Amino acid sequence: MLAISLFVFLIGIVAFYYFLRQQVDQNINLELKKREISLNKEFDALHSSAKPYVNLNDTVIITTLNQPRPAENFTDTLLFNPETHQYALYRQLGFVKTIHNQDFYIQIFKPLEETDRLIIRIVILMNLLVIMIIVTLIIANRHSSRQDWKVFYDTLTKIKNYDVNSHEEFLLQQSDIKEFEDLNRVLLTMTERIKNDYLNLKEYIENASHEIQTPLAIINSKMDLLLQSGDMKENQYKLVADAYEASNRLSRLNKTLILLAKIENRQFPESKPVNPSIMINNQLESLEDLIHSKKIKVINRMDSEVTVLMNPYLAEILLVNLIKNALRHNIPGGELILELSSSTFRISNSGPALQLEPEMLFKRFHTSSSSPESLGLGLSIVEKICTMYGFKVNYSYQNNMHVMQVDFHKA
Amino acid sequence: MKILIVEDEKPLSDSMVEYLSDEGHLCEATYNYFEATEKIGMYQYDCIVVDINLPDGNGLDLIRLIKKQAITLGIIIISALNSLENRIEGLEIGADHYLTKPFHLAELNAHLKSINRRISFGGSNQIIINEIRLIPDEHKAFVHDQEIILTKKEYELLLFFISNKNKVITKAGLAEYLWGDYMDLADSYDFIYTHIKNLRRKLLKKGCEDYIKTIYGLGYKFELN
Repeated sequence: MLAISLFVFLIGIVAFYYFLRQQVDQNINLELKKREISLNKEFDALHSSAKPYVNLNDTVIITTLNQPRPAENFTDTLLFNPETHQYALYRQLGFVKTIHNQDFYIQIFKPLEETDRLIIRIVILMNLLVIMIIVTLIIANRHSSRQDWKVFYDTLTKIKNYDVNSHEEFLLQQSDIKEFEDLNRVLLTMTERIKNDYLNLKEYIENASHEIQTPLAIINSKMDLLLQSGDMKENQYKLVADAYEASNRLSRLNKTLILLAKIENRQFPESKPVNPSIMINNQLESLEDLIHSKKIKVINRMDSEVTVLMNPYLAEILLVNLIKNALRHNIPGGELILELSSSTFRISNSGPALQLEPEMLFKRFHTSSSSPESLGLGLSIVEKICTMYGFKVNYSYQNNMHVMQVDFHKA
Repeated sequence: MKILIVEDEKPLSDSMVEYLSDEGHLCEATYNYFEATEKIGMYQYDCIVVDINLPDGNGLDLIRLIKKQAITLGIIIISALNSLENRIEGLEIGADHYLTKPFHLAELNAHLKSINRRISFGGSNQIIINEIRLIPDEHKAFVHDQEIILTKKEYELLLFFISNKNKVITKAGLAEYLWGDYMDLADSYDFIYTHIKNLRRKLLKKGCEDYIKTIYGLGYKFELN
């Protein structure tokens, strides 16, 4: 900032010098020109019998002095210029000269017109220079403070958007201001600590989930064997069946939660173009028996050329969950409409209206009363996958149809 | 079929041994990597069931060792790690199947049966159970030598039943075999019910005996007398 001001100042001085110089030159030129004119006129007057020319610029008025002699003085005075018929301002020096005991009062004049003009120009110029410097300083100041605040606002936005789950590094802009630097440093340590705590917790949960798998496997296998023993009474079967069902539910739950954690951790990195319509048709094929038994009419309006860039495994999970959801909540004899374009996938199914807030649909462990066995994680998985790819998933209820719409492009 | 089970959790290993022995397989169990390498070096097995996380080594290394020594045997990985990379890596280095813990013994058994068929007959075989005949290669099924047209899932279901004949098969086990993990499979019980109803109807229509028994609340049993 100092550098900018100095620079402007220097430029200003140089410009000032040259401009002043030019003004003075112009002024002198003007005077010289006037001198030329008066000389010419004097010459003309010499060669003719015309009235002798009086050059006001060189006017010297000599009067004999009878009064007591005045002191030498400088005064402003107006003289009538017979050529322009105007009064003009002159500076006058009056002094007394004694020649042969006779005092003469001598007045010499210098026109002020030109000098006045010069002074005005110099004043204007100086003001301009000062204004220029002030404006530059204001601009530079504002700019530099904006730069400083920019860092602050950048930090603010980053905190606002801070997501402990995000995989991008939390970086803040450098600032020249000590306070902002301090703030940033504190924030960085804080987010670092939060992130570490979070990762530890997550790792703990993941490990726990994995460790649960083995005991579950043992329980399941023992139950499998118990069931094979054959000589059980019906009520014993019932007991085992319930226990078996519960342990199965637990293992499914665990597997699904691990899957959700993996999606959150972005452990499905490799993406390639996937053709959803092929996948969906395969799924429909494997579900055709169910579709037939429920007498569901499938209306396929998919563009078979469309591909989406994503992990094939996740794409399948996404689509399967949506299809199963649409089948589960369908009514016998209902419709299943599939629409696919390059920007959206939309799956609609017949069914009575929801009795709950649509936002609740994507919440974990939310299950409808009609299918109590459901884990309530299907749509949660759908949402997680969509979020990971920046897709937007929406639910709406139109014309007695539940509509799930996935927009492939970032909103 | 001679099977080596490499699993450090003894109770789980015992369950597998018991179920598979009951199916007529000859099972041996080892509980660590070192013992497993010794056994592989000394004896001949038709199939190995291996856990990835062993106390003194990695099951995947065991598979690599087997492949390096050019031993031909069926390989099934069982692991608590259900990551895609693990699965892909396991299958890439030569495993036939990858089962995630917890799994169903019937499912393991079905996979072993299919490995057995591949090893014993080079795959070009038939499975004959009384009046039912299956040609796994062509996914065809016959009853009294009349072909029955089954959907893909119905066929898989029938094969699964036959692989685990006279065993109680739970609905959950069936669901996982037919649709794999990860799907919110609660409603697949309905799906299974539908599939079984259709399969049973198709079999009965061709004069097949009704082998599929429902065990209330639990599952099914393919019962041969």
